[in-house]
Parts: sequence; C-alpha cells; structure tokens
Amino acid sequence: MEEYNYIVSGLERSGTSMMMQILYMGGFPVAFDKSRKPDVHNPKGYFELEGGKIINRLMDGTFPMEKYRGKFIKITAYGLKFLPEGKYKIVYMTRNLDEIMDSMEKMSGPIDRETEKPLLDKLNRYIIKLMERRDDIDYIIVKYNEVIKNPRKEIERVNEFLGGILDVDSAVKAVDPKLYRNVREGINREGAKNE
Amino acid sequence: MKDMSEIEIPETLAKKIEDMIKDTSFNSISDYITYVLEELLEDMEEEEETFSEEEEEKIKERLRALGYLD
Repeated sequence: MEEYNYIVSGLERSGTSMMMQILYMGGFPVAFDKSRKPDVHNPKGYFELEGGKIINRLMDGTFPMEKYRGKFIKITAYGLKFLPEGKYKIVYMTRNLDEIMDSMEKMSGPIDRETEKPLLDKLNRYIIKLMERRDDIDYIIVKYNEVIKNPRKEIERVNEFLGGILDVDSAVKAVDPKLYRNVREGINREGAKNE
Repeated sequence: MKDMSEIEIPETLAKKIEDMIKDTSFNSISDYITYVLEELLEDMEEEEETFSEEEEEKIKERLRALGYLD
C-alpha cells in the first residue's frame, strides 16, 4: 500500500468529494485538511488539501507527493496533467456533463454551455487517455450515478481495485442519495479500463 | 492478411469513388475508404491530444471560479 500514491479524481462536481467520503468511511487512509469548510454545495465536506488548490502546486512542481504515499488525496481532472512520475492508483469519477454543469452553475454562476460542454468533454477524454497511456498509473472509472443507484456494487468494485481492504458496509453509509441533487435520469458518461 | 469487416455505403458514393480512384494507386474502393478513415481517425486523435491557449484559459477560468486554482 505504501508504494502507491492514491488519488480520487474527475471533473469538478463529478462526485470526487463523495468518493473521498466513501473511502474515508471505509477505513482507507485519506489525507485532507480543514482549509475548505463544508458548505451548501458539499455539506459533508470537500475532503481537500490546501483549499483544493493543489493544482497550483502541481503546476509549479512544489507539491510534496511523497508525503502522501499510502493515502488517498483528491486532485481534480486538470491537475492530473501535471502529475510527476510515480506510482499511482486513481479512482476517476465520471458524471453526466449536464449534471456537472448544473452543479457548477449553482456554485459559480451561469455557464456558456455551448462553449464549455465540449471543452469539459475534451478534458475528460484527454485525462482518461493520459491515464491509459502512462505506465505508472493504474485506474478505475466510477460513474457517479451508478454509485447513487447501487452503492454497494460500485464500492465493491472499488474495493477490488484497492486490494480488498475497505470496510464496504461502513463505506456504503457515506452515500446519501438525498444529498445528491442535479441528477438527470438515464444518461451517463461512459468509462474505460476496469469498468 | 488482416481480418476484414464488411460495411455498406450508398451505390452512388461507391460509383463516385470507383471513378475517382481510376489511375491511382488504390486497388479497390475498400482500399480507398480504409485510407480515408485511417487518416480521419488519426487527425481526430491528434486534435484531442492538445488544448489551444484559449481552451486552456477557459478551463483555468472555470477552475478559478470554482475555487480550484489561484
């Protein structure tokens, strides 16, 4: 376990905080600080380091990745572009892009969907390809809506990816469908390897 | 020899291609369509490999708005 850096990733508002909470409740070591407080958008907390601004540190090469070996940290999709060489296991969240943008709009105001939807789609595909290409990354794609619909099944899949050390019964309790709004029925982004 | 799949295209298109590849190095309509599709897919893959400066800036703007970037 200590040989890997573990990362939860995905586009912002794709369920990365929910997955961090699942892992935390499941007993996996998870690193976060209290720099970003829970709010109406993430009532259970963001589970982030440095106020979510790790990307800046990754871009300038000052993020101390070695300090977090053996633990899960959250780095949203764009940050994976700047991951230094290492040994990573990544849980990558995907979610319907319209739902993601619904949620983003609540947080940060109106979005020009005509411009931003294809861009978010491109970023998602780019990062999935990047993970596929890099030999030092092992990853699993988890669909947000599948977690909401069938938490146990999805968490068991994640558990298998992690070598079976999660307490699945506890982890399942982290999924509270009441908290997850903005769900559009019947649509999901598809995933890739390990799906 | 590679495993091949059959696809269907309109007769009129097939005829056009047949006329077009006369006196070229393409031996058949299938050869030509395979070449065009391979080129197209390669271009699409290359296009996805990079972001323009404008796209990068747009992504960063959104990350800033959401509090993920300074």
